[in-house]
Amino acid sequence: MSRRNNVTDFVYAALFAALIAVLGLVAIPLPISPVPVTGQSLAIMLAGSILTVRQAAYSVLTFLLLGAVGVPVFAGMTGGIGIIVGPRGGYLLGFLVGAIVIALLKGQHNNKWRLALVNVLGGIIIVYTFGVLWLGFVTGMGLEKAFTVGALPYIPGDLFKAFVATVVGAAVNRQLQKAGSR
Amino acid sequence: MLTDIMLGQYFPGNSLLHLLDPRTKIISTILFISSIFLADTYQAYIILAAFIVFIIALAAIPPTMILRSLKPLWIIIVLTLLIHIFTTPGSIIYKIGPLAATQEGVRQGLFMTIRLVFLIVVSSLLTFTTSPIALTDGIERLLNPFKKIGLPAHELAMMMTIALRFIPTLLEETDKIMKAQMARGADFTSGNILRRARNMIPLLVPLFISAFRRADELATAMEARCYRGGHQRTRMKELQITTRDWLAYGVLGIIIGVLVAVRITLR
Repeated sequence: MSRRNNVTDFVYAALFAALIAVLGLVAIPLPISPVPVTGQSLAIMLAGSILTVRQAAYSVLTFLLLGAVGVPVFAGMTGGIGIIVGPRGGYLLGFLVGAIVIALLKGQHNNKWRLALVNVLGGIIIVYTFGVLWLGFVTGMGLEKAFTVGALPYIPGDLFKAFVATVVGAAVNRQLQKAGSR
Repeated sequence: MLTDIMLGQYFPGNSLLHLLDPRTKIISTILFISSIFLADTYQAYIILAAFIVFIIALAAIPPTMILRSLKPLWIIIVLTLLIHIFTTPGSIIYKIGPLAATQEGVRQGLFMTIRLVFLIVVSSLLTFTTSPIALTDGIERLLNPFKKIGLPAHELAMMMTIALRFIPTLLEETDKIMKAQMARGADFTSGNILRRARNMIPLLVPLFISAFRRADELATAMEARCYRGGHQRTRMKELQITTRDWLAYGVLGIIIGVLVAVRITLR
């Protein structure tokens, strides 16, 4: 993908990290759940769907480090290492692994069905696996309760986001291919 | 909101904690956070609490700031407390309907809740006393040894700086695109799932395409100026480890030693 040298990869990753932060600030009104959900995990799925594996990994890592140094980019305008080691930190690590998995498995041909499948796998299953494991450990509440509190209520919203990520990701990929950039 | 983003949680000051090298603060925070997990007796928690109050006083951070750092997580903290109180088996002390609070549950719940609060407060102290730029510098220096296994330490710091610089720009852009599409009759708040997902396309696709265009321009500009990473770069502010930093490590070592001793002797 990168015809030029590494600088392009780094700059793409940096801009996408900024996009992840920005989408985290935009509230998406959901049709199913009354809780307004932000576009953070949507942006993570899109990072995987649009970028190469390297770019996706760097962009999520950059986003996490930005949050770690105190820039309020995490859900609800929060930031700081406190959030990463806090009860919700597992999801953040899951973001990194999830985006990499999506980028790895999405394939070359911009196939929508495949994209949808890997978005559910990387953006939901992997993110929640890490999230629930850490939540269960750090609060000592055990996995079953951690799942009920930390995953179940959010899964419908995330299925919707995986759907949006697939539609938008495929559209952006198509545009980029047409423009012939990258 | 924008100044919020640029400054992060940094609370400017001149305390001993502010003056420590960011590397010292990062390493100490990680060590101290891990040692919080050693505590499992009342005595250990009292020692931890005393030490945390001591460093908060040392950092001269107003207590309201500390409380604010807990705000985004208070629901999960309360939930943790309740789950432990009502689901731990043991001798029942109080009953509400089918729910029974146990003595063991209260103890367990208090420990876990206080542990969470400690975790969040201690790590917030790091970001309260260190500016994002100093922390970025510190992370870059700490990651330097990992360059050998392919982790681009300098480039990570560079990416963080670029991302920070572009967050306000892209926020403005999002706002502009949203208004432009709404003026054309776009509707982001109604319709069924399929419709809504479709409606996100005119918002998100232009946003991403324009971000990629900016990235292309920036990459070209950097290459035109022969950017070649951190190799042989000099800095205006060199980080330096001083006596203060060794003192901090010393104090931390004593605290961790005491916690280990308490853990071994009081079982």
